[in-house]
Amino acid sequence: MEKEFTTQESLQLISQMISKAKDDFIETGVSALMWGAIITFCSLVSLFNHLFFKQSWVEAVWWLTLLGIVPQIVIARREGRLRKYRAHDDQLRGGIWISFGVAILLMNYFVLRYNFPQPISVYLVLYGIPTFAIGFGKRFRPMVIGSIACWVFAILSSLTPGAWVLLYLAGGAQLAWFIPGLILRKRYLKAKKKNV
Amino acid sequence: MFKDLNPILHSQLRLAVVSVLISVKEAEFTFLKEKTNATAGNLSVQINKLKEAGYIDVTKQFKDNYPQTICKITPQGVLAFEQYVKDLQSYLDIKK
Repeated sequence: MEKEFTTQESLQLISQMISKAKDDFIETGVSALMWGAIITFCSLVSLFNHLFFKQSWVEAVWWLTLLGIVPQIVIARREGRLRKYRAHDDQLRGGIWISFGVAILLMNYFVLRYNFPQPISVYLVLYGIPTFAIGFGKRFRPMVIGSIACWVFAILSSLTPGAWVLLYLAGGAQLAWFIPGLILRKRYLKAKKKNV
Repeated sequence: MFKDLNPILHSQLRLAVVSVLISVKEAEFTFLKEKTNATAGNLSVQINKLKEAGYIDVTKQFKDNYPQTICKITPQGVLAFEQYVKDLQSYLDIKK
């Protein structure tokens, strides 16, 4: 590769290498898919329970959201081990998701302690925050749209009676995480195929 | 008049390495090899030259019992790269 090259070729090489490096910045989408699926599943099970079965033990399905932390740690560690580079914004993104996780755990604590009558609107507001921050920062429009949908659903859920608010939670999880996760996954597999 | 282009950076492989490193916080040797399509030997030589110029930091460590080389651009390397791009632009402007 050691040969004389023109200034034009230099600029071309710079932009080509930067774009090649960026090809690897695509996330696998696994975490987004997993959380989108877990929240949707729990919301729908809870909704059907409230509407038809009315069994208190069915609400234990929400423990899945806590159990989800285990595969999340495994996924994060595995992805970190496989990655051959560290991006400039890795720490920032990690910080955003960790603070979101802590906020959700604290929110769960307060919901149980003070027996909130309808906490779904607040959960939706929280869902929108990291999703918007990441989507806006990465210029990933599906996440920005998903986060705005979460905030719109938060308002609508405050006006909706009964268990139907759970539909907004499922919708928020789909739009903020599951669908963006599917798009990321598709892009990741395409980029992986290109690099093979 | 245009300035002389930095001879350390005005080499295809070294410029390719620095361009990749400017896009990331740090990268493994294998990542650079994959992106530049260079041979391990040639890449190693060019990385050494960049290191000697103070443009990159090279850390050798072990990961899962395998040796791992991590490269990271230094603030001096960032400045040199920025100056190189400016020089290229002024060169092209004069040629127009």
